[in-house]
Amino acid sequence: MERRSNLVAVFGAALAGAVLVYGASSVLNPYLLSIIAFLGINVILAVSLNITNGFTGLFSLGHPAFMTIGGYVTAIMTILPARKAHLLPDLPAFLARMQWPFLPALIAGGLVATLAAIIVGFPVLRLRGHYLAVATLGLIFIIQGLATNLDGYTRGALGLNGLPELTNLWWVYGWVLLTLYVCWTLKHSSLGRTMMAIRENELAAACLGVKITRTRILSFALGAFFAGVAGGLWAHLVTLITPTSFTFLLAFQLVVIVVLGGSGSITGATLVAAALTIATEALHPVEEAVGLYGLSQTLLAIAVLLVLIYRPKGLFGMAEPDLLAWIRKLPGRQPTHSGSKRHREV
Amino acid sequence: MKSILTRLMTAAAVIGMLATVPHVKAADPIKIVALYNLSAGGLASIDGPSLNGAKLMAKQINDAGGLLGGRMIELTAIDTKNDLKEAATGAKRAVSMEGVVAGIGHSDTTFALASAPLFQAQGLPFVTSGATSPDLPDMIGGEMFLACFADDVQAHAMAEYAYNTLGIHNIVVWTDNAMDYTKGLSKYFQDRFTKLGGKVLLNDIYMTEDKDFSALVSRLKANPDAQGVFASSGPDTAGIIIKQIREAGIKLPILGGDGYDTELVSTVPGPDLSDNVYFTTHAYVGLDTGTAKAFREAYQKEFGNPPENAFAALGYDAMGLVADAIKRAGSTDAAAITKALNETTAYPAVTGQIAFKNGSRIPSKPVAIMYVDHGKVNLKTTVTPQG
Amino acid sequence: MTAAYVLEQIANGIILGSMYALIAIGFSLIYGIVRLINFAHGDIVTIGAFAMLASITAFHAPFPVAVIVVLVVGAAVGMLIERIAFRPMRGAPQVTGFIASLAVAIVIENLGIMTVSAQPRNFIVPAYLGAFIRLGPLQIRAIDLAIVVLAIILMTALAVFVRFTKAGMAMRATAENYNVARLMGINIDRMIMLAFAIGSALAAAAGLMWGSKYSQISPLMGLIPGLKAFVAAVIGGVGSISGAMLGGYVLGLAEVLFVGLLPPEYSGYRNVFVFATLIVILLVMPNGLLGRSTEDRA
Repeated sequence: MERRSNLVAVFGAALAGAVLVYGASSVLNPYLLSIIAFLGINVILAVSLNITNGFTGLFSLGHPAFMTIGGYVTAIMTILPARKAHLLPDLPAFLARMQWPFLPALIAGGLVATLAAIIVGFPVLRLRGHYLAVATLGLIFIIQGLATNLDGYTRGALGLNGLPELTNLWWVYGWVLLTLYVCWTLKHSSLGRTMMAIRENELAAACLGVKITRTRILSFALGAFFAGVAGGLWAHLVTLITPTSFTFLLAFQLVVIVVLGGSGSITGATLVAAALTIATEALHPVEEAVGLYGLSQTLLAIAVLLVLIYRPKGLFGMAEPDLLAWIRKLPGRQPTHSGSKRHREV
Repeated sequence: MKSILTRLMTAAAVIGMLATVPHVKAADPIKIVALYNLSAGGLASIDGPSLNGAKLMAKQINDAGGLLGGRMIELTAIDTKNDLKEAATGAKRAVSMEGVVAGIGHSDTTFALASAPLFQAQGLPFVTSGATSPDLPDMIGGEMFLACFADDVQAHAMAEYAYNTLGIHNIVVWTDNAMDYTKGLSKYFQDRFTKLGGKVLLNDIYMTEDKDFSALVSRLKANPDAQGVFASSGPDTAGIIIKQIREAGIKLPILGGDGYDTELVSTVPGPDLSDNVYFTTHAYVGLDTGTAKAFREAYQKEFGNPPENAFAALGYDAMGLVADAIKRAGSTDAAAITKALNETTAYPAVTGQIAFKNGSRIPSKPVAIMYVDHGKVNLKTTVTPQG
Repeated sequence: MTAAYVLEQIANGIILGSMYALIAIGFSLIYGIVRLINFAHGDIVTIGAFAMLASITAFHAPFPVAVIVVLVVGAAVGMLIERIAFRPMRGAPQVTGFIASLAVAIVIENLGIMTVSAQPRNFIVPAYLGAFIRLGPLQIRAIDLAIVVLAIILMTALAVFVRFTKAGMAMRATAENYNVARLMGINIDRMIMLAFAIGSALAAAAGLMWGSKYSQISPLMGLIPGLKAFVAAVIGGVGSISGAMLGGYVLGLAEVLFVGLLPPEYSGYRNVFVFATLIVILLVMPNGLLGRSTEDRA
């Protein structure tokens, strides 16, 4: 069966990645390591946004809100109880006493974000197109406002600093693999096809018995989970989280990545996320040398514009280029194409 | 990709260094990094001058022959773009640079909290020019130093001045809830003011991006007993607040902290409305000692305009303090520099003498109280606080 | 909470709403014709403010002339953006156009930062506009009254234009049904340019009002007003001009009244209330207050 060679290829790629991570961790300086970590986090964000925006066609700008929720929850879980009492006086006693290790804390952050997504999703996901965009944008401001003003629970504008620097390349790599795995499986599952059906033609999908609302909420919630986890990873990389850590500007950047890579293409989202992270950092020294702060953003924006003019459907559209084709060719199998090649208007 | 990146970084770092400070490549330069918000956000109006001040000090030292027997100072400026992630990665980049011995920068506590821990982790001293929270050294660690006074000091000074000298016993407070600097300032002010016996009639809240204060102004008017307004604000909103309060016809004295130390306080309301405003800031304008005057003239000569605000002097002093510590330590070893900083007893900074006494890493410096009279900012008095 | 206080808050809400309305109309005009959201709209507001400052300080133009200059500059920039970012995107998915305009917005903002620097600047307004005027129990400044009057004039002019002139009717036709309008011989390109020109001129006018009211301008000043006006346009129904006007005033009033009428401890929740209102409105009327469902599927 083709599956076995597929599995071998994927396992091999994951192993190669692990070797690279090991090599990088031992050789590179903290700055470069942190850039690669941010690259990984951006990939998680872009790929998870792809579930919501790409597969299901929901124009959601809400990712930063879920990052904030996830980030804060994770941070509250990992801070030492002694500090918690001092920093967050209004926190209920049972939370103040707890201190969890990183993985449960991250998962908790993701789950709370998912819960928020479900609660918010029921009313909000009835909206369509730009109306949904604005509603999810509003979500960012609402969460920011709550985080800033409920300072007994969140320490308000000062945010939570001195977070243990738990995020390292291994954690990020692990979550990247998980995210990619989940999204890939989703895309090639019947649930994934349902989501894409909703995106292509909702009326037709409804006629065919697709439960529209439930699927939309599911895709929203799934994206939110990974956004929450990414928020937790981010917070423990910067060691500081404030209400304005994740702004609407980040939401736009993520949408840019998803669209440039091709809405619905996991590979596209990954590659563009990586490329943009590297490009932004690489342009910093140039900026400083010339003294024109703001140059890197300008150049990137122009690049985005050019890509959109010449490839308006993004780099890969809905397709996943068969990167593993050459591996699959080895046992003498025919590579198949995945994903739909037909593009429609969003 | 990895090696290209490293090569790019090295090449770019070289370009960066060559471009920032003009110097003759002598023996090992002494590398210092400055982190400031240069290209975005409300802090650009104080971070830009701070960087200029630091650059001026570096240039003056280099022109005079450098430190430690002819070694030139190389100041690299990193723009943190009003973004905490940039502050963290910028700091990571800074400490990864070959041969960096110390860092300076930031005029806001939140940004200092993002950058300084990275210097702390590497054992490199970080001197902030303008981040004023008194909790910073405790929150970050032994490598964190302030070149400026702390918020509790300036807030107490203003509270005492308001109560004792201006005779204000009932006051309305406006607090910017979105900046921890303004929140801290407001809290310290109210603590001291009420301790002196004054009454806070109302603590009204706004957020940094708000431009419309009509509701707060109306509530202020609804408090006829108020004898003054303490509006804890950052540089971007101070002028707008003054304008809107005065436009409503309210003539009460408006009080503020060093966030008011920007020309926007005079230009935005205009000469008619910018009146009867008092604010605390880092003492330098009125200090007519030789160093302050010389600094002003040198700044004007180098950048073509007089120092925009006290933060320019603070940047100058932060850089100078680090250089002085290096001189006293006699080496560029980070631990030696930190020790020398701790032992500072009398560095003659332009903004007032810096001394780190009793193991504190916050200097006890004089606070200047400025008075805005029809658009003109004058020094009213200088107080040396007890605490 | 006296009557005068409430009246004052309402007046402030109307003034703020006038500015949001002008910007929101631009959004809706453009959306109505090309079905794309122009994210650079907020930056046209900034350009308008700077153009005004430049006319008064560098060219010493009298105020009315400066206003005309601002309108012209706004229209020109709008048409330029259309040419660069929107024309190549015609036919692409909506989200693509959104991002293209976002890219343009970023370029404009950063060019502004690089040339003019991120420092806020003082905005100058002729002295006679600073005078106080009494209107019954209210006391407002001449500039506030001027803002509302100017906004009403511009909106009325637009309404007249759209209803009664040939070009206006052609624009409406294009917005209603792109292909049929083309078949009827209407020059689509010109209609689109017209929509951009008018919408952007209005945004630039809003920029000069904003600068006059708050006296402080910076290259990033248009970002938040643009975002809020986008919200206003959506509240009123994206694509509907009257909806945009209504949405603008609703948003302006909501913003001011929430902070004004609730106890001061809640002032920090201003944005929370505004966006919560937005979500509630959208839930009750999913296409905005005056919008029509344009997403026909069957």
